[in-house]
Amino acid sequence: MNPHLRAPKQHSSGMHATRGFEELIRRLVKGASELQAIESGQVDAIIDPATGKAILLPEAQEALREDQARDRSLVRLSSDWQWEKDKHHRFVSCEGPTIGSSGFEDKTIIGKRLWDLPFDNMSKVDWRAHRSELARRAAYRDLELRSRDDAGGVRYFSVSGEPIFDRQGQFKGYRGTARDISNLMQAGSVSQGETGIARAALDALSAQICVLDSSGSIILANRAWRAFGATKGCIGIGVPEGANYLTLCDNAGEGERVNGIAIATGIRQLIAGEREIFRYEYRCNSPIGRCWSTLTVTRSPGNSPVRMVISHETTTRRKRMEQLTGLDHRDANRAPPANRVLAAMPREEYQRLLSGLEPISLAFGDVLYEPGDSIRYVYFPSDCLISLLTQVEDHMALEVGLVGSEGMVGIPLALGISTSSVRALVQGTGTAMRMEAGRFQLEFKQSPSLQRELYRYTHLLMAQFTQTAACNRFHVVEARLARWLLMTCDRVRSDQFHLTHEFLADMLGVQRVGVTNAASALRRRKLIDYSRGNITILDRKGLNAASCGCYRIVKNLFDGAQR
Amino acid sequence: MVVLRLYISGNAPNSVRAIANLEAICQEHLKDGYKLEIVDVFEQPVRALADGVLVRPSLAKVSPAPVANVVGNLSNKSNVLLALGIKGNVR
Repeated sequence: MNPHLRAPKQHSSGMHATRGFEELIRRLVKGASELQAIESGQVDAIIDPATGKAILLPEAQEALREDQARDRSLVRLSSDWQWEKDKHHRFVSCEGPTIGSSGFEDKTIIGKRLWDLPFDNMSKVDWRAHRSELARRAAYRDLELRSRDDAGGVRYFSVSGEPIFDRQGQFKGYRGTARDISNLMQAGSVSQGETGIARAALDALSAQICVLDSSGSIILANRAWRAFGATKGCIGIGVPEGANYLTLCDNAGEGERVNGIAIATGIRQLIAGEREIFRYEYRCNSPIGRCWSTLTVTRSPGNSPVRMVISHETTTRRKRMEQLTGLDHRDANRAPPANRVLAAMPREEYQRLLSGLEPISLAFGDVLYEPGDSIRYVYFPSDCLISLLTQVEDHMALEVGLVGSEGMVGIPLALGISTSSVRALVQGTGTAMRMEAGRFQLEFKQSPSLQRELYRYTHLLMAQFTQTAACNRFHVVEARLARWLLMTCDRVRSDQFHLTHEFLADMLGVQRVGVTNAASALRRRKLIDYSRGNITILDRKGLNAASCGCYRIVKNLFDGAQR
Repeated sequence: MVVLRLYISGNAPNSVRAIANLEAICQEHLKDGYKLEIVDVFEQPVRALADGVLVRPSLAKVSPAPVANVVGNLSNKSNVLLALGIKGNVR
């Protein structure tokens, strides 16, 4: 409490230095020095030992009255209503203008508690939080409340209060102010001027975005958010403006309860200023099946008015990809990359590259480029295998190169050419990291390490091309098949893989029957076995001996370069 | 270290003057060698009776002994210095 506002009232009878007043003073004050100080006007107050109350002398009374008037006028200037509540939190007074049944009308408010009034933006949980604040006798500031006036218009109030204690320190109630902030809120929530631009900008984004006020009510939602309503799978996403998002989370259905509580808790921490950002990834059931959602909530800077921006994205595709490849982005930051070009990057550069890389699952038969295609992505295979094929008029395709985890597909880009001269065909199902062409060119330009690694790899690829060209011309199918199987084995790092004879015929540029004969010969020598396209290498050393020298030449080159 | 206690009554004019006068005197004569507690009757109503100081404003020298009191707005500088026991420094 602020007792000096009360002091003059309590002793208004002593406002004038009447005879009775003088007598009282003389009775209380015995010392000559005290009397002298009083007479020379140097004293403000005397304590009555019988009551413990201060008796103010006229000049002090006048000064304090002015103080009080100034305080009142400042309070009036900065607020619309000034109210007091008793110790049971019932309003005992409320001064200010009356506006319909908006919540702070003098006649209706007296005797009621704040939570008895028709405010519609506070959930049970919110009121519980507010009441526990009151129970702690805490002062509260800018509690935002919303109601509707007689005309049906939405009105917002900001209420602040502090506890009052009596002289003995006993709690007496609360005293505070309320402001009508409807104009402020509406300027912040409807499309006017800058807000209109903000709304247009939000509408252009594909993520579902909405803005909450400090009570959790949605005051702005973008187009994607509004359109999302139809699928109704992910907690509260798509509910219209005006709804309370926190209430929705609090009351999430059986299967969503845990997620609802976690989201509501996170947002409340943001509102309380306990954190700056809240991210939550969760799985939910939608009519189109199970889906993954990522929610990112940020808080507007500063305190008035507090705004929360929720951005929701469906991350099902990415999540499936991660599950498919067993590759979690967080782990990818730590684990060394499976691709050797990436593994050779200094750690810092790899971290930077990583932001432009995305894991992708490639399946047997996928075509990455056709000859003449512009290169949209470069691929760093992790455990998949990609054949580079060339085609001469109507003849069968012929493999000229094979790329696995030791290299990159899309080398022309590193040499300043944006189209592919070969067909890039996925031979072995697996995963790769890919990067968009523009980003790759940028990274390549500014990274000497990436340049060094890719020039070195280009040299190896050219050696492979030339050796393959010679091999295809001079060596028998059996030796070439042995070479090809060994190269595949090196790149997939497995003795077993799936390839049909037809496919092998394409690779080697021979008739299918030629492949069958060669494979039978190798099987007879117990070097390999095969059944329905599943090839197993039984004797690697023997297969090496059966292959032409081209395999060893290229392998030595590669091994030497890796060292 | 001189320990002082000033009893005041809120923002009443003599109380405000007393604070200003006392601070000026302390700055000039005691530098950092003092501790001042301000007791406002409106903030600590019970304290007034407990300490037995009935007139506001008034200054009490708590230590070192002897204990001394000055009543009023402390505009009489020599009275204050006398109570504080630093009369010898008066020029």
